[in-house]
Amino acid sequence: MRRPDVAVTGLGLVTAAGIGTEASWAGVCSGVSAASRNPELAGLPVDISCTVPDFNPNKLVGRRASLIYDRFVQMAIVAAREAVADSGLDPETWDGARVGVVLGCGMGGLRSYDQQHKRMNEVGPQAVSALLIPMMIPNMAAGHLALQFGATGPNFVTATACASGATAIGCALGLLRDGTCDVVITGGTEAGVLPVVTTGFAQMGALSTKRLDAPETASRPFDADRDGFVIGEGSGILVLERAEHARARGARVHARLAGYGASDDAHHITAPDPEGTGVTRALTAALADAGVSPAEVDHVNAHGTSTPLNDAAEARVLRRLIGDRAAVTSTKGVVGHTLGAAGAIEAVFSVLAIEHSTVPPTANLELQDPEIELDVVAGAAREHKSNVAVSNSFGFGGQNAVLVFTSAA
Amino acid sequence: MSTTTTYDQLVDILVTRFEVSREDISPDVTFEALEMDSLFLVELLLVIQSEMGVTISEDSASPSDTVGQAAKLIDAATAAAGS
Repeated sequence: MRRPDVAVTGLGLVTAAGIGTEASWAGVCSGVSAASRNPELAGLPVDISCTVPDFNPNKLVGRRASLIYDRFVQMAIVAAREAVADSGLDPETWDGARVGVVLGCGMGGLRSYDQQHKRMNEVGPQAVSALLIPMMIPNMAAGHLALQFGATGPNFVTATACASGATAIGCALGLLRDGTCDVVITGGTEAGVLPVVTTGFAQMGALSTKRLDAPETASRPFDADRDGFVIGEGSGILVLERAEHARARGARVHARLAGYGASDDAHHITAPDPEGTGVTRALTAALADAGVSPAEVDHVNAHGTSTPLNDAAEARVLRRLIGDRAAVTSTKGVVGHTLGAAGAIEAVFSVLAIEHSTVPPTANLELQDPEIELDVVAGAAREHKSNVAVSNSFGFGGQNAVLVFTSAA
Repeated sequence: MSTTTTYDQLVDILVTRFEVSREDISPDVTFEALEMDSLFLVELLLVIQSEMGVTISEDSASPSDTVGQAAKLIDAATAAAGS
């Protein structure tokens, strides 16, 4: 029996480049990095980040938003409302039991934890909020979307570090193919730009430190002089739907989600396997799942963190498997590395690249590392028709997730 | 401490800490009507404890209580603590 096709019918974004899909897409296409000095990180070894500007929860989410939701949930709600509205589906009338929610999140409500932990130490246990636990636990990102939209189907959060968003979308694909759901609200969210988290990444040498005086030049994936990532935050949400269900209601289809592949390096707790064996298996599995050959890949939204090790290892795999035919970008140059949200935000950008026949440039790519033997888009956005787009995501723990999107036509 | 004063203090807490509109609050309005469920009520009791120094057990208040009833409860607890 033929597997049901899965359509992308709704998109929503909250990134450092802007609130909303339009603002975020314009931001990544401009190639101007959204990194800036972060006053909350002042005095720390790394004090730059890609923070979402002007994110006012009480205005964007509603009254008491800052009392009920941690920032990672607030951003997921804003992105999900945009995605559901974009899909044209009506949560008032849909069969909620057929609607699932699967989100990725690497960290959860660490800001709430951090605040309440300080209160307990400074004031005492009686000062700890009764709302701490539901604000902190990572699964609440999906739980709150169920409440928002009356989505009573399967509901969970995946944690595969920086691949979490892509893993979630892959799991959502399974729920649609196996007939469990007609619609899945999926993606990822993360708000981990905290002093202690940022410093933790700095201590392990993962962050860029060379250009703290010029933050907008720090995230430079595939550049010869890259030296680490810039931490970011945000949320990317997609409404996925069984293609038949979308067709029956005459929905506009942005693209199709055609394949998913996952693997683990089992090589090192944080460093990528330089041979890329695990990544190769995930990519090969995703392409096979989509029924496309490596030669058919037109566009790759790379994991491209801007760390020396990741970009070199990822490029070797892409070169070996796909060659230099595909137009490659890393949108982390503009929006930074949003950890558990990255795979979802980049999935949305991959869909938009197909829809707009445009590949955004990799910010700050001035001199391409000679080891990176790929066609990486630099400078300005490139007009480029893509029928097949691949989005790579790799997490600490060696966890790899690869998505394949194809054009709607 | 008079009931009026306690009531006013409670209203201030609801407005400043729970983002309730002042015009929505009256002695006869319930916490439910102010969209405050049991979890919020627990949080309110914790705030009352830390800001007014009065301990009220979770079992003695419910979301169907009115703001006026809660003010009386605080007064009673204050009097009991002082006696």
